[in-house]
Amino acid sequence: MAKAAKPYADHADPDQLRRWGMVVDLDRCTGCQACVVACHAENNIQIAGEDEALIGRTLHWIRIERYWEGEYPNVKARFMPVLCQQCSAAPCEPVCPVFATYHTPDGLNAQVYNRCIGTRYCGSACPYKVRVYNWFAPEFPEPMEQQLNPDVSVRQRGIIEKCSFCIQRIRRADLDASLEEREVEDGDIQPACVQSCPSSALIFGNFDDPDSHAARLARGNRAFRLLDQLGTDPAVIYLKGGETNA
Amino acid sequence: MPDLSRSEESASMGSEQPELSEELQGRLLLAERTDKEINEAVLRPMFQTGLGFWILIGILVAIIALGMFAWGYQIRWGMGTAGINQPVYWGLYIATFIFWVGISHAGTMISAVLRLLKADWRRPITRGAEAMTAFALLMAAMYPLIHLGRVWKFYWMLPYPNSRLMWPNFQSPLMWDMVAIFTYLIGSMLYLYLALIPDLAMARDHTGGWRYKFYRIFGLGWRGTEGEWHKLGQALRIFSVIIIPVFLSVHSIVSWDFAVTIQPRWHSTIFAPYFVIGAVYSGLSALAAILIIVRKTMHLEEFLRSEHFDALGKLILVAGLGWFYFWFSGFIVEWYGNEPVVRELIHDEITGELAPLFWLQMVCNVVPILLLFSKRIRTKPWALLILALAINVGMFTERFLIVVGNLQRNYLPFNWGEYKPTWVEISVVAMTFAGFVLLYALFSRVIPYVPVWEIKEGRLRYSLRRIGRLLVPTAAEIE
Amino acid sequence: MDEATELIALFRKPADTADAIDALLAAGVSSDQIVVMSGVPYPEGALGRHVEWTRLPYIVIAGALGGMLFGLFLAVITPHLYRLDVGGHPPVGFPPAAIIIFVFTMMATIISTFLGVLWEMNFPEFGPKAYDKRVTDGDLAVLVEFPDDLTDKVHKLLERYGARDIRTPEPETL
Repeated sequence: MAKAAKPYADHADPDQLRRWGMVVDLDRCTGCQACVVACHAENNIQIAGEDEALIGRTLHWIRIERYWEGEYPNVKARFMPVLCQQCSAAPCEPVCPVFATYHTPDGLNAQVYNRCIGTRYCGSACPYKVRVYNWFAPEFPEPMEQQLNPDVSVRQRGIIEKCSFCIQRIRRADLDASLEEREVEDGDIQPACVQSCPSSALIFGNFDDPDSHAARLARGNRAFRLLDQLGTDPAVIYLKGGETNA
Repeated sequence: MPDLSRSEESASMGSEQPELSEELQGRLLLAERTDKEINEAVLRPMFQTGLGFWILIGILVAIIALGMFAWGYQIRWGMGTAGINQPVYWGLYIATFIFWVGISHAGTMISAVLRLLKADWRRPITRGAEAMTAFALLMAAMYPLIHLGRVWKFYWMLPYPNSRLMWPNFQSPLMWDMVAIFTYLIGSMLYLYLALIPDLAMARDHTGGWRYKFYRIFGLGWRGTEGEWHKLGQALRIFSVIIIPVFLSVHSIVSWDFAVTIQPRWHSTIFAPYFVIGAVYSGLSALAAILIIVRKTMHLEEFLRSEHFDALGKLILVAGLGWFYFWFSGFIVEWYGNEPVVRELIHDEITGELAPLFWLQMVCNVVPILLLFSKRIRTKPWALLILALAINVGMFTERFLIVVGNLQRNYLPFNWGEYKPTWVEISVVAMTFAGFVLLYALFSRVIPYVPVWEIKEGRLRYSLRRIGRLLVPTAAEIE
Repeated sequence: MDEATELIALFRKPADTADAIDALLAAGVSSDQIVVMSGVPYPEGALGRHVEWTRLPYIVIAGALGGMLFGLFLAVITPHLYRLDVGGHPPVGFPPAAIIIFVFTMMATIISTFLGVLWEMNFPEFGPKAYDKRVTDGDLAVLVEFPDDLTDKVHKLLERYGARDIRTPEPETL
């Protein structure tokens, strides 16, 4: 199911070749937004505020899309967490004039904050609209600046950012594993959203490891990909949900 | 029958000259003027800097100052001071950028294409057209900087060896934009300048003071020797040929900014020719409007006659018909395909919240096409001016709808949005319009507006010939 | 070696100028020493002179080639110097490479045409030169340099074909 395109296969370090992916179980998602909050906390995302949010400038790297279905009294709410799909054939990558976004050998769509000059081309090109922009300089009201994560930079105004699958946690796990001279196990790495989900609707893993929990779920018969027809080859697999009722 | 060739006579005509019809009397290249009179007629308006002129300059400078303040404000506080948002990441700036690049296409059409086709009606117009191209491109070139979130890092888009060992991404259409617009800007400025040198020499010979010093430097010591003329002619011919693929490629490349993404209604193969023909349409209209205004304010009625506006009007008509053809080709495919997002976008445009803008665009673009069929309208300056301005309004709206309208909707309805420009964006856009007019106004007072040597050359080509009872103007086949 | 004299004269009509030039050539003045200045380009052959050969086409082609090579370097070589994979594309694709190579070829052609024509014309040249301002008002000026002993002959020749204001040119700063 999660077939990876690997243009870098011939020149990357073989130890690095993995394909990180995430499985989103729509049957379990309750729309509680814990993942959104956790992502903000982990990644030093600035707070847009109500006025900015009203004109469409929220800064959520993961968002819960809520769709209403049906007419009263048979109304249903559908929740869909949408985050950067880390596409293997990402339409956002080739359009950046300064290579601020590129594809890593382990299947991540990397965003290099200090290279971005803010053309916002990638934001327009992304069909999932998961890229967010720092419209103003970040302001963390007291005492929020004390909970900033030292592993993640604080971005200046004018920079595009997006979900990175908590690449800082991935690299930290790799470092720890190499220091302890062991391999990274399935389940060692949990991005903030995965860690915080109370119903375990998000599962993270290496799709290239056929035994990993994520890869097994991705092979299931409920699996589908968002906007698959566009051919972006995303690394986020959704599992079809049952009824979700408020 | 006596050969009534005019090439031998630079002074007044002989007494055997038969009565010329009114139409023939109105032809610029058959007019009875000495070279000296033409020189003076062209140089005189340059000195007309009365109160009205300075008031205009004052207003333009004020608008530019406001725009610079707005831009500085935006750089200091961030792109959030503009009205763009998610998903409408590109707004008024990019729409105006495309508009300016589009305007720049008419100059090359008139100068290069008509020069190669030996259409003599281009002669009094070329310099004004090329100046319009050069200044429009200068204004367009500001926008890739204006819309950058971190404009102080813009130089990372330039290919230079650096300690990061990084090169720009040449797969990005923005890089193609940069090089193409730069190439076209350099090309059109050099083309403008080359064709200007003999007239700078003429102005140098007829003026004094600071003007003489200025013309002397930029005249480069031109004397008009045979060798100089021959080489200039060669260079202009080469330029004319080279600049045509450049101008065709520039707006195609700008269109590919949109067409290479998979955004619905952007991902269309028709975009490149659609944009190019739209550019020619809006550019020629802008040129017509500018020429009519310049003709009135600088009293150049002698040089810009009804024959020129008639021909220009016909070209605008053809470009307009072409624009409509390409618009329809794109539209029918999208409408018929009935894909959900596209359906929503089209609905939005035709009957939804963007309907006022869409119908403004269609009326302003289509009605002039119908009216330009009439020669009476084409040759009435005020009528042509109104139509030309309407076309520009329509084409600007069209660019706006392409950029903003198609970003407002996308595949995931949760992320649909709206866009409203802020004072920052409007001020900056106004700044570029004022900048263009300012540059043009200063140009018209410093540089001889009408290409005098080209008119004199044209008069060499033109003579009257008798066919039976008819007296016809004839163009000689000289290079 | 005879000392050379310079004379400048104004003509009104190209036909007269052409006749005068023929006569000058017949009198033994070499073609290189005759310079005709005019305010409007006369077609080749109108004044009965041969067309000068220029190096301009070669300069242009050389420029075009240089531009093409530079574009090739940027589009095809630099992606391999520091490899970054984007969008599932190979490092070098045909459409972007074609566009970049095309545009740089055009850019170099334009610049080399301009610089080439300036080079060929020896511009800018601000030193004092023999000139007559009236050429921009429609006259043709003929500047001729010839050995001293032909002075009278040349004078009569020029007068016969309708030259006005025959005089020794005073080089003026243009």
